[in-house]
Amino acid sequence: MEKVQLNVNGFPQVVLVGSHETILETLRNRLNLTGTKQCCDEGTCGSCTVLMDGKPVLGCLTPTVRCVGKEIVTIEGVSSGDNLHPVQKQLVQNGGMQCGFCTPGVVMTAIPYLKENPDPSIDDIKEGLSGNLCRCTGYKKIIEAVKNAAEELNG
Amino acid sequence: MGHYFRPTTIKEALSLASDWPGNYKYFGGGTDLQIYRKQKLLNNEAIIDLSELDDTCSIKADENSMKLGAFVTLDEITTSSDIQTHFPLLAEAAASVATPVIRKTATMGGNLLVNNRCTLYNQSKEWRDAVGSCLREVGNICLVTGGKDKCFSRNVSDTAPALIALNAVVIIHSQDGKKEIPLQDIYARDGIKFHDHLDEDAIVSEIRVPTKPASWWFKKLRLRKTLDFTSLTVAATVDSAGIARVCLNGVSMSPVLIEESLKKLTVETVIKKARKNCKTVDNDLMPLKYRREMINVYLNEWWKSK
Ligand SMILES: Cc1cc2nc3c(=O)[nH]c(=O)nc-3n(C[C@H](O)[C@H](O)[C@H](O)COP(=O)(O)OP(=O)(O)OC[C@H]3O[C@@H](n4cnc5c(N)ncnc54)[C@H](O)[C@@H]3O)c2cc1C
Ligand code: SF4
Repeated sequence: MEKVQLNVNGFPQVVLVGSHETILETLRNRLNLTGTKQCCDEGTCGSCTVLMDGKPVLGCLTPTVRCVGKEIVTIEGVSSGDNLHPVQKQLVQNGGMQCGFCTPGVVMTAIPYLKENPDPSIDDIKEGLSGNLCRCTGYKKIIEAVKNAAEELNG
Repeated sequence: MGHYFRPTTIKEALSLASDWPGNYKYFGGGTDLQIYRKQKLLNNEAIIDLSELDDTCSIKADENSMKLGAFVTLDEITTSSDIQTHFPLLAEAAASVATPVIRKTATMGGNLLVNNRCTLYNQSKEWRDAVGSCLREVGNICLVTGGKDKCFSRNVSDTAPALIALNAVVIIHSQDGKKEIPLQDIYARDGIKFHDHLDEDAIVSEIRVPTKPASWWFKKLRLRKTLDFTSLTVAATVDSAGIARVCLNGVSMSPVLIEESLKKLTVETVIKKARKNCKTVDNDLMPLKYRREMINVYLNEWWKSK
């Protein structure tokens, strides 16, 4: 076990973690931040995506020890109070979710993606989100929501 | 009890490796290694994370040559305008690996040394216990061929065939010192010890491509346009002297290179050599007959495109 200091959603957190533990396990089991979902747990579905210094990483593959000294942002950290982030808002408005299990990963992938690609086409968004599997919506509404969010963010 | 080390120099990393003989793994981006650990295919106690090494280089590419640090991510490769301009073959090969998010973590060195895959081995522990484990694990036969002495797990790196076609060399560090070797020489035609030609503690620090080819071609066959490992990757270059380097991967235990002057080649001879040198067996999601047939299709496409 190692005692590490993490910075999660702007809050410093001191936790005792296993040396090989993943940040997904730490977030869910030690910090009770269960918004980040454990789904395939082997890098295939994108549900556990979180931001590490602004970059999307898969929580299930990222050792917690590797997150020391970095800023971690999870789905719990993207809205400001009741004001949803445009990506969240558009997913709600466009019906871009059904069971909701993949949604945190979609949001945490789309936010940095739109920062890097502020004016994406539908095909660009399909490629950008191609690591996020959804078994309910058939993707169309998710893609549309992200397209609308891009427009909203561009004002 | 697990241990996680974050050395800052190659020397320190090598000394940690010697402290944990046979019981450590180097960790680049971990996007391959973590899957092996989760499926209990690897149980090493020590992880030596190479991401903090400060004595490695980044990307340098111009119209003559290219130099890459082994720890640059595949995303950095695909988005580098210098690589896109001067070595688009590598940009395309890197862009075909996994998904955009994984490519932000996955490293160049890790992709060259990605562990071989087989549909009857890369499964959960429960699955393997139910079916019976094979030669590569603790069993005594290959579940694909029924043979008792040879494993045919596939090398699935997409950047390896591209860099081999580009005539790349890699810089390797081990307790024995620093070496420069042609990339294709690190691979062994063996599904269990697939990097047998490397010292056990070898760290790949750099990749160098000496010249720019006159023309190039790349194609990857897979079930979906994203996420899936290769069922067949073909990368080919022709240099200014008319020498073709065609490299196939995903269809044998190691990348298969055919190097020959175009004057001496016909499409039939390339296909014949490829089919002879690829030890393709039924260990992928795509059917064997189809994958073999696609070797002909891709090589024909390359030949016509020249
Ligand atoms: C969903 C999914 C899809 C994938 N699809 C593909 C695909 O299409 N094509 C593909 O090729 N791969 C694919 N992969 C596997 C993997 O993501 C890539 O191969 C990746 O490039 C590996 O790089 P890494 O830095 O994460 O390697 P790691 O996991 O860190 O390492 C891989 C191996 O190389 C060793 N190693 C790493 N760096 C060095 C170094 N510098 N020196 C010496 N040894 C080193 C490690 O010990 C380990 O054995 C996929 C993985 C996932 C989870
Ligand atoms: S090719 Fe045979 S021995 Fe090798 S991993 Fe597959 S089943 Fe096991």
